[in-house]
Amino acid sequence: MRALLRQSGLLLALALLPAVGQALYLRDKVSWQSPIPASEMVAIADARGWGTNAIWIDARPEAEFAQKHVPGAILLNEDRWNELLPQMLAAWSPEKRVVVYCGSESCGSSREVARRLRKEAQIKDVFVLEGGWEAWLAGEKK
Amino acid sequence: MNLPTKALFGALFLCTATLAQAQLAWEKTELELNPAIGADSAVATFKYENKGTKPVNIKAVRTSCGCTTAALKKNDVAPGEKGEIEATLKIGDRTGLQQKTVTVETDDPEHPQTILTLKANIAQILELQPALVFWQANEEPKPKTILAKAGKGVTIKNLEVTSSTPEFTAKVEPGSNAGEFRILVQPRETSHQAAANLTIKPDSSAGTKVFTASARVMPPATAAQ
Repeated sequence: MRALLRQSGLLLALALLPAVGQALYLRDKVSWQSPIPASEMVAIADARGWGTNAIWIDARPEAEFAQKHVPGAILLNEDRWNELLPQMLAAWSPEKRVVVYCGSESCGSSREVARRLRKEAQIKDVFVLEGGWEAWLAGEKK
Repeated sequence: MNLPTKALFGALFLCTATLAQAQLAWEKTELELNPAIGADSAVATFKYENKGTKPVNIKAVRTSCGCTTAALKKNDVAPGEKGEIEATLKIGDRTGLQQKTVTVETDDPEHPQTILTLKANIAQILELQPALVFWQANEEPKPKTILAKAGKGVTIKNLEVTSSTPEFTAKVEPGSNAGEFRILVQPRETSHQAAANLTIKPDSSAGTKVFTASARVMPPATAAQ
């Protein structure tokens, strides 16, 4: 019985080895950033449903915005935050929701822009678009 | 040697064999930078060496955002050869801790992908709280305050604030602590919609950066909020 327990323990330890190795060796490939709370994210269908009650903010670089963007979206990124913020604030009103997007799900600029809008401009209803611009494009192709 | 011992040695052998085949070795895969206040960019240099016996081809280098570029001098790395990838973060108006990644793809089957992380602590010259003040239509046109605070290590002697329209006035008063200022913004009236950009120029040791805030009187339709 003892031998069985010992062997089981050893096998369990061996099974854990790859997991420990992966956690140590691939630690840079794992996203350790805390995810955005679900309440601060919005799916495309929901955001579209807000209609004119939503302001769309494009947090991508200006060149990408110039190529194509969500119709009516306003450019606001951290490259020229001080210069671009006033035009966004001029379009905002308290009853409007703000939807921020960047290139894809993995880009972080929409999160940063959303965070700064909440903190610096003290705007409450700011959401990050799930999937970003890539998801918007995919939705257009359907 | 019993079965579990053999299994343990087998696992250790496999781990050792894998490590022995590693080729492109990175001096550091994470770099933390503290760029000077007012700097335009932060540059991180990731150094590597091919410690294997075969050449390594760097197939692609991708950055996590448009604000970061990565420069690679050559794609083929001979055994024993050293090189570097220079990642440049354009600071722009970014503040606080910025974390960007550079993904390096090689033809090394053991390590086809390496993620390099650039962290930059970007000092804030001036913090405005809030960057927007607004009045509902027909609200009493009392002054509202924007608190301006100098960032850590930044000395601001004075602030110059100008409004883009005479519909709003802006007055600067010293705050309760050193490096703090109170910007009192007041609309002339709130019976009609109005908006102003407030240009804020700090008299600072940290350069000539200009900041903006906004003031608005909302249209009557939004006053029901």
